Amino acid sequence: MTFVLSVCVAVCFGVSVYLLLGTDLKGVAMGVFLLGHAANLSIIAMSGSPVLPHQGALNPTHIKAAPILGDHPPTVALASLADPLPQALILTAIVIGFAVMGFLLTLLIITNRSAGTLVVDHLADEPVTACRADIGADPFPSAGASS
Amino acid sequence: MNSSFTVLLVIIPAAAGLICVPLVNRLRACRVVGVLGFGLNLGLALSLLATCQQSDGGAIVSQMGGWSAPYGISLVFDALSGLMVAAASLVALACLIHAAGSLPDASERRYFHPLVNFMMAGVILSFLTGDLFNLFVAFEIMLMASYGLLVLGRGKAQLAQAYKYVLLNLVASSVFVIAAGMIYGLLGTLNLADMARLTTELAARDALPAGFTSVGVLLLFVFTLKAGVFPLWFWLPDTYPTCPIAITALFGGVLTKVGAYAVARIFPLVFFVETPAGDAGPVLQQIVLIGAVLTMAVGVLGALAFRTLRRSLAMFIIVGVGYALYGVAIGEPGSIGGSVFYMAQSMLVMAAAFLACGLIESHLHGDDLRDGGALQKTHPWLGVLFLIGLLSIAGLPPTSGFYGKFAIIRDALGVGFTWTAIIAIGVGALSILAVLRIWCDTFWGPDPTPAPRDRAARAAALARPPSESGYAAVVLLIVSSLGIGFLPQRVSELASMAGEQVTHPDLYIAAVLGTPPGSPPSAANDQAPRSKNQTRDAAGSALPPAPPGPKPEPTPAFEPMPEPPATPTRPPAPEPTPDPLEPAPPVRPAAPEFHVSRPHAAPTRAASSDSRLSSITRPAREDRP
Repeated sequence: MTFVLSVCVAVCFGVSVYLLLGTDLKGVAMGVFLLGHAANLSIIAMSGSPVLPHQGALNPTHIKAAPILGDHPPTVALASLADPLPQALILTAIVIGFAVMGFLLTLLIITNRSAGTLVVDHLADEPVTACRADIGADPFPSAGASS
Repeated sequence: MNSSFTVLLVIIPAAAGLICVPLVNRLRACRVVGVLGFGLNLGLALSLLATCQQSDGGAIVSQMGGWSAPYGISLVFDALSGLMVAAASLVALACLIHAAGSLPDASERRYFHPLVNFMMAGVILSFLTGDLFNLFVAFEIMLMASYGLLVLGRGKAQLAQAYKYVLLNLVASSVFVIAAGMIYGLLGTLNLADMARLTTELAARDALPAGFTSVGVLLLFVFTLKAGVFPLWFWLPDTYPTCPIAITALFGGVLTKVGAYAVARIFPLVFFVETPAGDAGPVLQQIVLIGAVLTMAVGVLGALAFRTLRRSLAMFIIVGVGYALYGVAIGEPGSIGGSVFYMAQSMLVMAAAFLACGLIESHLHGDDLRDGGALQKTHPWLGVLFLIGLLSIAGLPPTSGFYGKFAIIRDALGVGFTWTAIIAIGVGALSILAVLRIWCDTFWGPDPTPAPRDRAARAAALARPPSESGYAAVVLLIVSSLGIGFLPQRVSELASMAGEQVTHPDLYIAAVLGTPPGSPPSAANDQAPRSKNQTRDAAGSALPPAPPGPKPEPTPAFEPMPEPPATPTRPPAPEPTPDPLEPAPPVRPAAPEFHVSRPHAAPTRAASSDSRLSSITRPAREDRP
């Protein structure tokens, strides 16, 4: 089980690195999202096997129980319960990743409107200048058009 | 003071941010809320620092929700995090005041105030938290708000350059998640104090898990990317200068220091451990050392090379981070104290320099140093403020920048880092050259060259001339940094305390995990009295103190200089990799597994049912090979 997860993580990493090295910002954004998924999967892979110790086959009775104490007697073997912490971590990471995805897609749309391109090489021609508002230019030249 | 006040430091800016959201179009109300919030935060941080200095352990720990340490989230307010919180609150206060006069109203309405408050909530939470995953969450709060601030105003250059910052930080966040997951897999805990306890024990038995150093390198990548350390510095001079100047100052003062703080907090605590074989910790320490020295050198060369004011100043942020990490890598209490002092004053001084840079730009209508400027004729007081800021950046004696550098380099020479210390001194000399060049080009230069056409247009379009609030913000920061420079005693005592706490992880572990007096190994308790004496020692010798008295002069502060640098309790180590964990607790005999049961650390709340639950949260290490 852990082996399958590791392969998934490796594939996700490989694809996301390939996308990150591209020149189109849309692809780069997809690479970032995929990297987040790879990170979450790798936490699952590192948090221990879901199969009970000394039970080889993947069959429903050999999977660890949910870590809820309700029905279990207090003396239940702790090793037979799954570890809940990695799932809590991943849930947090997924929520944060969702917010980041929203921001990045918005940024792509705004950049495309203002610069007319999403190719890194064209954007890189823009010189590093001080903010226009600070040296006295109109801060929102296209505010009427976009809002 | 009650320990639950610590959490207010995070809640105040978060609440202020929430209040500002519905008020976003009423600028005056937003400004009042923001300034009041950060003022309150600053006062609270200073009073907590005073409490902290008088308390026994030197740390105020609050356990969130009443869950005790390794299971819940701890907020740790000690000298290191307290100084950072106070300095960051002051910088945010000054930047808000400056923004009221410099930022166009249209930009300010686009959620400037909520974003600044949320960003500071994230920054302060990352200073205070004692949990690795909570640190990740704090970083994300800070980064999400900083992404918003970075593109505020939507300039074309701003959008184009923002991708470097955003994408690099997104990759770093994923790497952070992976590293946190790996640490949980290797050690079974994410609480920093618990991690430190385990790694110290495991290192003493030479049983560090495989991959420990790799995880350290991953975390180092994440933190040094945020700090702008050598191989990962290139995004900084491209992205920061494109923002409105109040935001540039806030970023330049605060954000990089968060990365440097994370290295200073986590690496001496968890990763710089000495194994019998001597492989894991010292390797990471060497990496930090080399990175820090290269960072300084690259930073000062960049500051000399760039021809615009903002980018030159941005390179000085990198120089400062280099010095701070250099002190951490040396690993002596005095040098780490120097680093802490340097980081705290560098926040104020870098922000002040950027804010003054905003005023200069609006007088010169541009930030290109080649255009020349003779502002000394027309604005002599701005010249004085800017020169004090620049000299402080370069670290000349009467200013606050000197003391930290002095302590760092003295300890570096004391323990035999001769070559790197020579580089650090050379970087200091080049910094003086670079800041004087900046000053000469803006204040003592020729009259500006005939304005290019677009410049005349820009001057005509300049809606808001530099205002009183801009000057007020610069004066606030410069006066604070001068206060530190002329009366360094209070800050240097706190910084020495921070140095002691960082070099003695057992103090941190005892404060967070709350080792009771009767617990069997009690290594931490054995250490405590000795270290407290050391704190007294170091408070006297680690940084040159100003003489106590109503009217201290700055010059007597140098008299301790010729003293031999070796402290009586820690003789200079002969090898170039000093052992930061020298007083490591003795090997605990019975520690067969990672999840050693700690009877004293059971949750305090509802013990009957929760003790079962808490023992479940770290159960499943048995099935690991």
